[in-house]
Amino acid sequence: MKRFGDLTAVDGVSLTIAQGETFGLLGPNGAGKTTTISMICGLLAPDQGSVTVTGQEISTKSTKGRSEIGLVPQDLAIYPDLTGEENLRFFGHLYGMTGGALDSRVDEVLDVIGLADRRDDQTKEYSGGMKRRLNIGIGLLHEPQLLVLDEPTVGVDPQSRNAILESVESLSREGMAVLYTTHYMEEAERLCDRVAIIDEGVVQAQGTRRELVSMVGEKDRVAMSASGNLVEAAQALRGIEGVTDASASDHRIDVLATDASSILPQLLATVTSSGGSITGVEVEEPNLEAVFLHLTGKALRD
Amino acid sequence: MGAALRIAAKDLKLRVRDRSAFILGILAPLVLAYIFYLVFGPAATGQGLNLEYGLVDEDRSQISSAFASILEDAEDDDVLVLEMFADRGAADSALEGGEIDAYFLLPSGLDQAVRSNQSGTIEIVGDVDSPTSTQIAASFAEQFSSGVRASQLAVATTATVAGARVDPEFIASLSQDPAAAGMTYALADRTATTKQLDASTYFAAGMAVFFLFFTVQFGVTGLLEEDRDGTLARLMAAPIPRVSVVAGKAILAFLLGIISMTVLVVATTLLMDASWGAPLGVALLVVAGVLAAVGIMGLVASVAKTPEGAGNVGSIIAVVLGMLGGTFFPVAASGGLLASLTYLTPHAWFMLGLAELSSDAPWTAALPAVGAILVLAVSTGLLSYTLLRRRMAR
Repeated sequence: MKRFGDLTAVDGVSLTIAQGETFGLLGPNGAGKTTTISMICGLLAPDQGSVTVTGQEISTKSTKGRSEIGLVPQDLAIYPDLTGEENLRFFGHLYGMTGGALDSRVDEVLDVIGLADRRDDQTKEYSGGMKRRLNIGIGLLHEPQLLVLDEPTVGVDPQSRNAILESVESLSREGMAVLYTTHYMEEAERLCDRVAIIDEGVVQAQGTRRELVSMVGEKDRVAMSASGNLVEAAQALRGIEGVTDASASDHRIDVLATDASSILPQLLATVTSSGGSITGVEVEEPNLEAVFLHLTGKALRD
Repeated sequence: MGAALRIAAKDLKLRVRDRSAFILGILAPLVLAYIFYLVFGPAATGQGLNLEYGLVDEDRSQISSAFASILEDAEDDDVLVLEMFADRGAADSALEGGEIDAYFLLPSGLDQAVRSNQSGTIEIVGDVDSPTSTQIAASFAEQFSSGVRASQLAVATTATVAGARVDPEFIASLSQDPAAAGMTYALADRTATTKQLDASTYFAAGMAVFFLFFTVQFGVTGLLEEDRDGTLARLMAAPIPRVSVVAGKAILAFLLGIISMTVLVVATTLLMDASWGAPLGVALLVVAGVLAAVGIMGLVASVAKTPEGAGNVGSIIAVVLGMLGGTFFPVAASGGLLASLTYLTPHAWFMLGLAELSSDAPWTAALPAVGAILVLAVSTGLLSYTLLRRRMAR
C-alpha cells in the first residue's frame, strides 16, 4: 500500500512474476502502475507490504537486491550530452561493472538495440526511437533477473514500437522476467503471459488473458461464411462441448465458444459433415479491453 | 564514495561540454573584474593613479619649505611622484610634455603674506586631460592652507584677549608641522578593518567570489535537473547509497568552484597584476569560500521545486550576498548597520581575509577569516544535507 497524504495511490497489490515470464500491468493513466513499479524498484517505500526479488527484500534504505532489477522509466532517462556508449558505461559502472566485462556487455547491448554504428554520437543527435531503444538498453545492461518497463512505447513511432516489442519478446525467451506496464491493450495481449488489470490503485483481476476473459464471461466468436444446409450445421455445432451458441443466417454461421481456437478443427469438420461448404472463417476472441470495460465500467483510454 | 565520484565525473564532463560553467565560472568574472578595474579601479581605491606632480618654489621660505616637505613625505609613502622645477617655464614645459599631471606654484611673498595675516595663494596648474590628478593636487593645497589658517585664527584670538601681537615665528613653527597643517593622507599603521586591497586585487577577488556562487550552483542544482530529466529515478534505482547522489553533486560543485577560483587567481595575477597574498593563506580562503558557496547554494537546491526555480532564487541570493559582502564596493567601510550585516556573508570574510594577507603578511593572517567562513559553510552545509536527504527519502 502507498498513500500520498489523503490519496491512496496503491492498495493491496500482490503480484508474483516467474523467471522467463512477461507480466503485464494494464491500466489507464493514473491507475497506480508507476507507483507500483516505483515500490518494486526501491524508489518509493511502501506504507505497508514488501517487495522481494530473487529472495532479497527491496528497500529504499538498502542497496540489497537492486542489481537484480533493471528499470526502464517511462520518461527517457538518458543524458543528451553523453554519447550512447558513455550513457551505457556510466550506468554500467553504477551497477559495479568494470573492465572487459563492461566493454563486452556494452558492445552486446549496442548490437541488441541496434545502435552500434551510432555509439559515439551524443544522444541529443538520436531520433526519438533510438533514444527509446537506448533507454531500454541501459535497463538490461547489467543483465537483471527482473526487467521493469514502464510504458516504454509511449510517444514512439510504429516502427520503433514494433522493434521494442520484439526486444521484449526476445528477452523473455532468454529467460528474463519482465514486468511491463502499459495502457495499450494490444501490447499486453501480444507480450504478456499474465496480466494484472489495475485501476484506481487496486488490482481488479489478474491471470492469463484466457482466464481473465472467462472470469468475466466473455466468449470467442467464430464467423463462418458458408453455403449449403446451414441450419442443420448450426444445430450440430451446438452439440459440441465448449460451444455455447450457434446460429445460421444467409451464407453465414455465427458460433459462440469458450475457447474457439482449440475446437476450431472440430467446428469446421462438423459444418462440412452436416452438408455445409465453408468459404471463409473469422475467429474473434474477446480482448482485454472488453475485460477492462466489464471490470471497471470504463474504457482503458478514459 | 566510488559512485559519488563517478557521478561527479559524469557531471563534470557534461558541464565541460555545454561550456556554461566555463562562461560563468571563468570568463565572466575575469572580463568583469578587468572592466571594473579599468573603469573604477583608481577612483575606488585612490591608488594606481600614478600622481606625478611638479613643485615650483619661488618663495623659498619656511612656509614653502613646510609645504614641500609634506609633498616629499607623500612621495616617500608612494602616494605621488614629485619633481622640483626652478621656474614656472620649466614646469609648463614638463606639463605640456606629459611628464607631470600638475604642478604647485608657491609664489614669492607667500611667507610674508601669511606672517602679516594677509591672503597668500598656492597656485595649481594642471593638465586638462588629468582632471582627477589636478583635483587631488588642489586638495593637498587646500588642506595645507586650511591648517595654516586654523593655526592663525587660534593664535590671533589668544593675542586679542592678551592684547598682544601675533608671533610670526610661532605661525611658522606650526606650519612646519604636517599634523598641525591638517594633512591626513598617511596610510601607515592601518587597522584590520581599514586595510585595503589594491584595485586590481580588489576587483579580481570580488568578481571571483561573486561568480563563485553562480558556478557552484551548476553543481548543486544538478540534482533537480536529474529529477526533471528522469535520470534521478535511474540513479536511485541503482545499487548505490542515495547519499552518493547528493555527494556526487556536492563534489562537482566543489570541483567547479575550486577550478574557477584557481584559474581566476592565476589569470588575474598574470593579466591584471593582482596581488593575492601568501599562497597558502589564499588557498585556505578559496577552499573555505567554495565550501560556503556549496552549503548556501545546496540550501537553495534543497528547498526549490525545479532547477529553474533554484536558478532564480540562487541568483538573487548570490547577488544580494555579493553586494552585501562588498564584492562591488567596500561595504564594511560604510559604517552603520550595513557594516555589521556584511559579516554575515562569506564574501565579506573572504575579502577581509585577503586584505589581511596584503602587505606581505604570513598565511596565518587569513586564519580568522577562514574560520568564520567555515562556520558558515558547515552550518549551511549540514542544513542543506539534512533537507536533501529528507527530500530524497520521500
